Amino acid sequence: MIEERNPTNTWIVDDDSIYVYGLKKLISIKGINTNLSHFINGQEGINALKKANENQQLPDIILLDINMPVMDGWEFMNEFAKLKPQLGKNITVYIVTPSLDLNDIHRAKSIPEVADYIFKPVKISQLTEIFSQTQYQANERIRQYGT
Amino acid sequence: MSFSEKGKLSGDDIHLTPLINDLDTGIWKYNFNTREVKWSTGFYTVLGYQFNEIECSVNTFFEHLLYHGDKPAFTNAINNRITDDTPPLQLRFLTKKNGYQWFETTIRKQDDENGSIVYGSLININRYKHNDLLSAHNQATHDDAFKTARLGIWEIDTQNINTIVLSKQVYELFDLQNHLNLSVEEFISFFEPPYRPVLQNAINNTINHSRPFDIDLLLRSAKNNMLWLKVKAVPVINHFGKCTAIKGIVQDIDNEKRKLLKLEQSINLLTDQNRRLQNFAYIVSHNLRSHTGNLQFMVNLFEQADAREEREEIFSHIKAISESLDGTIEHINEIVKIQTEITKERKVVELEPMFRTICSALKNNIEAINARVEWDFSQCREISYIPAYMESILQNLLTNSLKYSSPERQPIIKCYTLAEGNHIYLIFEDNGLGIDLERYGDKLFGMYKTFHNNSDAKGIGLFITRNQVEALGGNIKVDSTVNVGTKFTIRLV
Repeated sequence: MIEERNPTNTWIVDDDSIYVYGLKKLISIKGINTNLSHFINGQEGINALKKANENQQLPDIILLDINMPVMDGWEFMNEFAKLKPQLGKNITVYIVTPSLDLNDIHRAKSIPEVADYIFKPVKISQLTEIFSQTQYQANERIRQYGT
Repeated sequence: MSFSEKGKLSGDDIHLTPLINDLDTGIWKYNFNTREVKWSTGFYTVLGYQFNEIECSVNTFFEHLLYHGDKPAFTNAINNRITDDTPPLQLRFLTKKNGYQWFETTIRKQDDENGSIVYGSLININRYKHNDLLSAHNQATHDDAFKTARLGIWEIDTQNINTIVLSKQVYELFDLQNHLNLSVEEFISFFEPPYRPVLQNAINNTINHSRPFDIDLLLRSAKNNMLWLKVKAVPVINHFGKCTAIKGIVQDIDNEKRKLLKLEQSINLLTDQNRRLQNFAYIVSHNLRSHTGNLQFMVNLFEQADAREEREEIFSHIKAISESLDGTIEHINEIVKIQTEITKERKVVELEPMFRTICSALKNNIEAINARVEWDFSQCREISYIPAYMESILQNLLTNSLKYSSPERQPIIKCYTLAEGNHIYLIFEDNGLGIDLERYGDKLFGMYKTFHNNSDAKGIGLFITRNQVEALGGNIKVDSTVNVGTKFTIRLV
């Protein structure tokens, strides 16, 4: 299968180590075909993005937390928006947070680069949907452009 | 009878008689010796009678024409010494058709060979007298109204810029017994010091730029009463648009103003409480949910995991979550405590013993990084404060400095008090990591904001500290340079 030959790249930018642990575990249990990388705050994520852009190692998906030390999710999105034109890949960003705060939700929806707002804890069905969608997009791209 | 018949005008003056009779003025004359009375035609006319319609006699004059209440005034006047300066008399006479009306008569006296003669001219002043009475009445009504409204009037003439004209109500408001002339400066000096420049600037602005003003100022009256006054003014301008005078009022608004200030205070208190409630909701929304979410997550995984090591691993996370949950609930508890303890009474807190106790409680943390903690409370040794707040403030700031010390140098932490003016400050200084205030300044005292990748950073200490300081009417400021240190300045009172 194509999917197995081309795993997606998923980055988690989140300071909640238990959540990250759980997510990794869940992905392995469900056998989702993705490479996971973890960054503990927005600054680390942005640094890694700049580097990955040079090495052609950009992620397909970013699962972004809001509350993090050093650089939070909002600041990350600001930086991301600046970087986006230079990035050689279409990256889907999901905000994943426990916040039920309406202000947070509206703010997230107002950012064009944010694909969706997902509440923690992440449901298995949501997770599989995210990945299958991205997988589908990646496969389409490969089918059309061969890359 | 008329002057033409029995008049004593003689010689060259005889031609004046018709003129006198033409006047709208009555001329009368009385001879003390002969008790003879003479009235001009005008005398009858001003009283509304035809010439000779009534008998010209002392009796008619006193019993029919002159109002009985005015008799003493008249008899006094004619019997007293009369000079050129004797003012005219205002008397009431009965007219033919219009009842009693006010008249004014001059009084002259002459003694000659014919005896002692008194004479004068009579004019009807009823309309003026009525206006006079009316305006006196109006004045009294106005005075009552101004008094009830506690409203005074003032005026500054720009030609005479140093004096201010004040209505008597202003003097009353200022508790000034004698109505001294005040200069503008003296007028302003009755207001409390912080309000003096406000009023001076407002007056200057009106003089220079014809700008009206409406300000509320606190007055300290001559009897030391504190009173909120509304001071309002408009410019009077000439044709060239230049201000020639300022017309203003002062009004006692003490009751309303104090109610308003109280209301504002309650609003501030409510705003604070509301903010704490929002923070509360925030903790529930972000942190409690984050823990419960993780807990659900781990429990699910636990059920799906088969291997023993895997289950043990997941269980260790469940334990960690349970601890975090406990910590978050502790934070909620601390925020609730701010709320409950603010109602407690302030007590005198001795700073040095309290700080020493905190230092010894944190002895291990201090020694672990070989920090030097210095203090100097000589400028203010004790303060009336809520003891639990003070303890929490000192502990949070010390913990904060210890936590964010720089590994590159020996940590030096200084805590001291400053007394400046009416305020007492608590200063906390360290030579630690510092923080980029340009980037994080507004978030530093926010809840669950952490800035360093420090595993034991919780983002709650400074949040609590700020809330405690502000709940007692103080404030907290921070200066910091990355890698040099941080200085917290707390205005306690």
